[in-house]
Amino acid sequence: MGRLINAEFRKILTTKMWWGLMIPTFIVALAMAWGVGALTSDIADDVYREDFIKSAGIGKDSVSFGVIALTRAINISTMFPLIFGALALSSELHRKTITTSFLTASSRPALLSAKAITYVLWGAIYGIVIVLGASLGTLAGSDSDILPEGGQWMLIALMGIVSTVLWTLLGLGVGALMGSPVASVIVLLIYAIIVGPVSEIVLTGFADGKPNIAGALPNGSANGLTGSTAADLIQKQIEELAQGKPISDRAVDTFQAAMRFAAGAPGAFALWASALIFIGWSMLFFVSGLARNQRRDIT
Amino acid sequence: MHDGSGRIVVQNLTKHFGQVGAVQNLSFHVEPGSVTGFLGPNGAGKTTTLRMLLGLVTPTAGWATINGQPFNHLGNPGRVVGAVLEAQGFHPTRSARNHLRVYAAAMGIPDQRCDEVLHLVGLGEAAHRKAGGFSLGMKQRLALATALLGDPQVLVLDEPANGLDPEGIAWLRTFLRSFAGGGRTVLISSHLLAEVEQTIDQVVIISRGQTMYYGMLDDLRKSQQSRVIAQPSDPNKLVGALQEAGLSGATPTQDGKIAIPGVTVQQVGDVAAKAGVALYGVQEERADLEELFFRLTSGQYAAPQNPPQFGQLPPGAHGTPPGGYAAPVQLPQGAQPGGWNPQSGPVPQAPPPPQGYDQHQGYQGGQGGNA
Ligand SMILES: Nc1ncnc2c1ncn2[C@@H]1O[C@H](COP(=O)(O)OP(=O)(O)OP(=O)(O)O)[C@@H](O)[C@H]1O
Ligand SMILES: [Mg+2]
Repeated sequence: MGRLINAEFRKILTTKMWWGLMIPTFIVALAMAWGVGALTSDIADDVYREDFIKSAGIGKDSVSFGVIALTRAINISTMFPLIFGALALSSELHRKTITTSFLTASSRPALLSAKAITYVLWGAIYGIVIVLGASLGTLAGSDSDILPEGGQWMLIALMGIVSTVLWTLLGLGVGALMGSPVASVIVLLIYAIIVGPVSEIVLTGFADGKPNIAGALPNGSANGLTGSTAADLIQKQIEELAQGKPISDRAVDTFQAAMRFAAGAPGAFALWASALIFIGWSMLFFVSGLARNQRRDIT
Repeated sequence: MHDGSGRIVVQNLTKHFGQVGAVQNLSFHVEPGSVTGFLGPNGAGKTTTLRMLLGLVTPTAGWATINGQPFNHLGNPGRVVGAVLEAQGFHPTRSARNHLRVYAAAMGIPDQRCDEVLHLVGLGEAAHRKAGGFSLGMKQRLALATALLGDPQVLVLDEPANGLDPEGIAWLRTFLRSFAGGGRTVLISSHLLAEVEQTIDQVVIISRGQTMYYGMLDDLRKSQQSRVIAQPSDPNKLVGALQEAGLSGATPTQDGKIAIPGVTVQQVGDVAAKAGVALYGVQEERADLEELFFRLTSGQYAAPQNPPQFGQLPPGAHGTPPGGYAAPVQLPQGAQPGGWNPQSGPVPQAPPPPQGYDQHQGYQGGQGGNA
């Protein structure tokens, strides 16, 4: 297995794709976090200028709205490692290098497992790049008052890396299942950029903003990994502010839904549930991709 | 793990792609120390058979083993069997050397072996060039280098001469002979008998997925009859004299000569001299092996024949064809030997036959590898 992983690393490092995708990954994460951070800072400014907020003695640093920039940037940038994963096996099928790869591996499952391990590691590398870009962008674009604390930041960053790894693995599975690099990349991008986000908004609208089926779909559960972490954090801070004041359960629910929406994860479940669901999706696609290639005739 | 014999066994192998019967009930084996030619016209099922042997295509029925094991039980298969297959891909922007390094890692062999095989196949100077920019022949050489990377005991080659220049073909022939001479096994497919005739010991000829001949090439050669074509001053007198001498079966040819089967030039000359018939020309003629091959496989799109037995030709496949012995052999389209024909001129000088292919590294230079 070590030999095959070594071979997979060489496959990646001897072509330009890994850095050809990594550069836009970093730029998108940085730019998105910067932009959303600046926008959130502006909105926060307006809110804190309201008289009733001032009179309540609520300081600008009491709620870390900056996490929204972080999660939004992470969620959008994961499409690059998704493409990277989708091409892992499909481009070998397309270029017919899979013949030699199968001829030099002890078995097909061994080769695909080595690929999975390799792409989990590369997913983590992409995750670190994304988190770095998103963090730098958030720092640069946001008012320092609305930035989260180090610990909270680390938790979201960690969830961002986990989410990137799982996206990469999911891409690998879909690519292995479909077999065509172009088709799998197009299908995944249309889903991750259009179908996923739109359906989440629509479904969540029908569900009155509560966690729902949208949060159980691949995109929704992945966004929930980072988005729910951010939404929970903001909500906790607001609850602290509102301590002793009468707030209805309904208001809490509504607020949480709004925060999830702002953090880019409408309809998502809690962190741990989202994680389990997304791991499930990634494994489902990976295992069916593996099964599909177990008996595929290479002609 | 495996018996290490280097033996290839194909037993009742059958493959259907949907409605298409690509391979039907194919059986043969290849012993170590020999080169077996696997011949058949386009679409006969050669590639499909080799891919089933290599675990790339799942047979509909039957099985194939290498070293007594199915391919996926070989453990580290690249160390046991090396293969050159058609449409075996390279990443266009990966250099030749990096391509080899990937698979060297997969087989767990040192990188230095990559340089060895590159020099062996004459690509030493193209090592750092992208495979996407390679010519057809260079790609074929790189595929061969990949097959040799793991120092395998068995070589399976699907039309490896495609795109190779004359030097490349001559080298390959010498190389394969010495490879098998060292006790290893070679199975090589081709749609041209002439291309591999000088290389192979044993031959499996298939057509439409079925075996047409399986046995030693020499036995196939012996099955062809020779005959003598004579141009006498008085044909009737000569035929009569021949019959008196017990040499029957002479037939007139279309251009006014006579053809006498199963005799030597000397016998005909002696009989003619005794009978006082002048001979204006006399020559011995042997049916081309290629013609025989064509007759064996030309029924590809006709009615199926009964499956032949081991070492035997199917009924009607040998002997004098009805069309007249002297009729020009009509090769199937695309089967005409192209720019290079081993019988039509001096074969380019091959390097001295090596003992084992490790000693072959010098090939690249003087003999004109295309690097
Ligand atoms: N993947 C496939 N799907 C459908 N039919 C196939 C497939 N691969 C091969 N065939 C069919 O199987 C038959 C045998 O093909 P194969 O490639 O094995 O022939 P071949 O002897 O290698 O021919 P060639 O000399 O042209 O290389 C052909 O009729 C071909 O069309
Ligand atoms: Mg073929």
